[in-house]
Amino acid sequence: MTALLKDLTRHPSGRIGLITFAVFLIAAVLGKTGFTPYDPLIQDRIARLQGPSAAHWFGTDLFGRDVFSRLMDGIGQSFIISFFSVGIASLLGAVLGLTAAWFAGLWDGAVMRFMDVLLAFPAILLALLIITIFGPGTWTSVLAIAIVYTPIFTRVVRGPALSLRRRDFVDAARTFGSSRRYIMTRHLALNLVAPLTVQITLALAWALVTEAGLSFLGLGTQPPNASLGLMLSDARNLMEMAPWLLWMPAVALMLAVLSFNLLGDALRDILDPKTRRRLA
Amino acid sequence: MSKMITKSLGTVGLAVILSTTALSGVSMAENLKVAWSQDATGLDPHKQTAFSSIRFLELMYEPLVRLDKDAEIVPALAGSWQFNDEATVLTMKLDEGAKFHDGSAVTPADVKASFERILDEEVGSAARANFTAITSIDTPDDMTVVFNLDGPNVPFLTALASVNAAIVQASAIEAGTIGTEVVGSGPFKYESWTPNSSATLVANEDWHGGEVAIDGLDISVLPDETSILAALRSKQVDFALINDPFVATLIPQASGLKLAKAPVLSYHVLQLNPSRGPLTEQKVRQAISCAVDRQDVLDTALLGEGAVTGPLTMAAYATPQDQLFCYQQDLEKARQLMAEAGFADGFDMNIMAATGEPPTAASEAQVLQSQLSEIGINLTIEMKELNVYVDHWLKADFDMAVALNGGKPDPYTMYNRYWTKDGNLQKVANYIDDDLDSLMAQGREEADPAKRKEIFQSFEKHLAEVSPWVWLYTGYSYAGTQDYVDGFEPTPTGSLFGLANVSVNK
Amino acid sequence: MSYPIKRLLVFPLVMLGVSVFVFISIRLVPGDAITAMLGTESGLLTPTQRDALRAYFGLDQNWFIQFWRWFAGVLQGDFGISTTYGKPVMTIIWQHFPLTLELAILSMLIALSIGIPAGIYAATHKDRPSDLIVRIVAMFGQSTPSFVVGLLLIYLLSVGFGVLPEMGTFVPITEDPLANLAQMILPAITLGTAFAAAVIRMSRSTMLDILQEDYVRTARSKGMSRRRVIWRHALPNALIPVITLSGVEFGYLLGGAVLVEQIFALPGLGRTVLDAILQRDYALVQGSVLFIAFNFMVVNLLVDLAYAALDPRIRFETK
Repeated sequence: MTALLKDLTRHPSGRIGLITFAVFLIAAVLGKTGFTPYDPLIQDRIARLQGPSAAHWFGTDLFGRDVFSRLMDGIGQSFIISFFSVGIASLLGAVLGLTAAWFAGLWDGAVMRFMDVLLAFPAILLALLIITIFGPGTWTSVLAIAIVYTPIFTRVVRGPALSLRRRDFVDAARTFGSSRRYIMTRHLALNLVAPLTVQITLALAWALVTEAGLSFLGLGTQPPNASLGLMLSDARNLMEMAPWLLWMPAVALMLAVLSFNLLGDALRDILDPKTRRRLA
Repeated sequence: MSKMITKSLGTVGLAVILSTTALSGVSMAENLKVAWSQDATGLDPHKQTAFSSIRFLELMYEPLVRLDKDAEIVPALAGSWQFNDEATVLTMKLDEGAKFHDGSAVTPADVKASFERILDEEVGSAARANFTAITSIDTPDDMTVVFNLDGPNVPFLTALASVNAAIVQASAIEAGTIGTEVVGSGPFKYESWTPNSSATLVANEDWHGGEVAIDGLDISVLPDETSILAALRSKQVDFALINDPFVATLIPQASGLKLAKAPVLSYHVLQLNPSRGPLTEQKVRQAISCAVDRQDVLDTALLGEGAVTGPLTMAAYATPQDQLFCYQQDLEKARQLMAEAGFADGFDMNIMAATGEPPTAASEAQVLQSQLSEIGINLTIEMKELNVYVDHWLKADFDMAVALNGGKPDPYTMYNRYWTKDGNLQKVANYIDDDLDSLMAQGREEADPAKRKEIFQSFEKHLAEVSPWVWLYTGYSYAGTQDYVDGFEPTPTGSLFGLANVSVNK
Repeated sequence: MSYPIKRLLVFPLVMLGVSVFVFISIRLVPGDAITAMLGTESGLLTPTQRDALRAYFGLDQNWFIQFWRWFAGVLQGDFGISTTYGKPVMTIIWQHFPLTLELAILSMLIALSIGIPAGIYAATHKDRPSDLIVRIVAMFGQSTPSFVVGLLLIYLLSVGFGVLPEMGTFVPITEDPLANLAQMILPAITLGTAFAAAVIRMSRSTMLDILQEDYVRTARSKGMSRRRVIWRHALPNALIPVITLSGVEFGYLLGGAVLVEQIFALPGLGRTVLDAILQRDYALVQGSVLFIAFNFMVVNLLVDLAYAALDPRIRFETK
């Protein structure tokens, strides 16, 4: 783990990604634990729609709430939703993928066909249906996004797991005299954990975007709480009167997604045995 | 770079438009380009009750009477009418020139068949509830229709002023083509309709109501009102209906555009559910009414675009607001009422609102949440997709709801569904007392205007005092137009019927 | 059994799965066609009226019978009647699909015409400042959600440059190609941005890989010019993954871009499904989701086949 971090700081885009991510993570944690310049929910309706100033760095919104504080809160909200949804999706995907590979036969067929069905379903519409059924809210968003991204994880896990089961690599490695235990661990690390890690990082970026899209349609985070998508949606009709309401969450969303994409790129380079060899 | 592309494309496009105009002459070019964000949901005038459907259908279908811009009842298909002294029989004379779009005259038989259709339960017309007072319809000659009612019923006339009581052809009812083919008698004829996308109507040259100055309407549905604004600015649309006050306020600022607005009868309201927990206590409901600063909600959620209102939104009946219970925010009194009811520490509740309906719903909920937190009421906002909201609303499955409810020019037609003992929506309102019920009954029977006003003012004061709901304010109906579009008069019902009088003077 | 044939066999099974899934989930959403049509006024209906309307909308039967009726129709090419449009579902889909198809094609054209040259340029100028710039731009492009690109484009153009986005009545390309293009260019750029970024990244990295390959080095050492090596040998091979990527992306775009269509007021397939869901138009939701899923699977199958045909090293075996 520490070795991985070290590798990341050496990798150029890894370093930038890590720093950006760290900044956002700090903002998110502070935002969710209440260490914001203002209470993100407190309305000061006299001071509505004020541009950026020393008192309100990113201005105020329609209700006179501090946009900077709401941005911190919103980043926290968006992070919570993407972390939980990707966490669930990867866990669910891992279980389904592993069992599909292990039990094979009917179970494998059933799981993979169901994943095909989910994949063929347009992602945002799938999420939209799930949310309209259960009613919008943080945990419904988590559930919806998790379901949308489960098939990808199932596929990522099933492939390597299948070859693990067949043990073809074991025989190959045996001829070189490696121990069984060593082979298993190493194989798992290289062929399962590595792609899974990369996939998780990228999925975090997609989840951020999906959450923002759903909130933009009014189906994600519920007011008065903030999320990046909801802030964008609220800014829509006000963008000519108060452009900062549009710019701040737009840039924040872009940078947050960027940090995950950069990390994903770096992890792929570091963990991929092919590029690793080349780098060495 | 992209600016140049758009510009040059625009120029070429303009050249093409100019050349086609030159070729086709003047007669073709004057279809008014109209945009709105919500489309009709169907073509059957008796079945479609959504406002978006009504304003579309009333361009083509006509009721017997309609409302003018001051909410006064004026002739439509009926040229004149007369109640008997007891207000139990309404005799109407049809307008002589009234013809359907296929050229056939509008006859008393069509009127009778239309109302029989509305009253036929198998048809499923929601407007039926307004006309169950009809015991029989006589057609003594080929110009006269007589409605016999089950008792004195003055508001019956206002109930007729709705496209949900439109007159359709008896032959079309028989053929079962209502809802698929549109043969009305109104200022515009149906040409085509692609739901959620576009519609084309052509002017009815034989309209009995006068001459229509434009050749027709090309209607497009642009779901997002900011894109309607963009279309107005780029002159791709001549006339647009706007719901969102935020968008509307930007229109007068753009050069070449003007905004027509009129106060409407529909009202924004905080519906309390008096069957739920602390809300069963009248004092709690009153405390909420006192804690809400109506002007502040209006100023924030609608940028001040509207006026604070009591339950009666029509100017002819409204009581001065200083006579209504707690129409100025009074936190002191609110806290005291809460304490008297035994809720000095407040309580937690949910408040539901529909996503985007009205566009200001989420903002209203948030301001109300902030205001009520002052007296210890902690609201959790539940935004629901419109149909989910409606589902909960009809089952009265909510603690509080932010709503925009429709208004009528007559208090009885407007509120009998909620505040009478056998009102259809009494189970939604969940509050009734003898005073409300008897005042409504009196108002229904009283024919003298001065006495009616007195009755309904008592009704309004009582309603505001028992506070089953907290009435907030009324907004405006907005029409954004190009400078060269003249003659549109917005109405308190938000009707677009005024398009019949619009002319284009480029 | 070869992979494509296996996929073909699985195809109907997945379509059946999508049918059942969409059929059930749209019915689990609270509210129905009656509340969608009447709103709160539906509270005025008498029980008899309500039953009449339920029968009219075909909601009076239980789910199994409803499903069987609908599915039997689908098997015969009849997708039912839309309650909002009063027309056959397929007619409505074909009304809206051309726009979605056009938008997908335009975005792909933009993505490929910018993405491939930029990617190759970056690869051949590896680690120089120009490469870095291309990579940064691509990274930002990939990290900005389409609807944010759309919002910012509209804002920048209308407020910053005074150029008004063309958003009026949609003009089909068959009616007036120029007016159509003027309307489509911004949404196409919006959708093309992330697409182009992905193409840049893919073409750059595959090009870099190929330039490392032995045969390219051999060609270089035999005195073939750098330019010739790139165009004749490296490019065709580098394009294979780009084609795969574009195909998959294209498959997604054919499903309609709900948010971008919403922002630019385009009546495409995405908005049609969204409206159908909001209006509880069951037949239309079912039909269009099935249509989108079908296209998605066909495109993906074609992409796999194309990949196999183009790259002789790939053989579909027991995958």
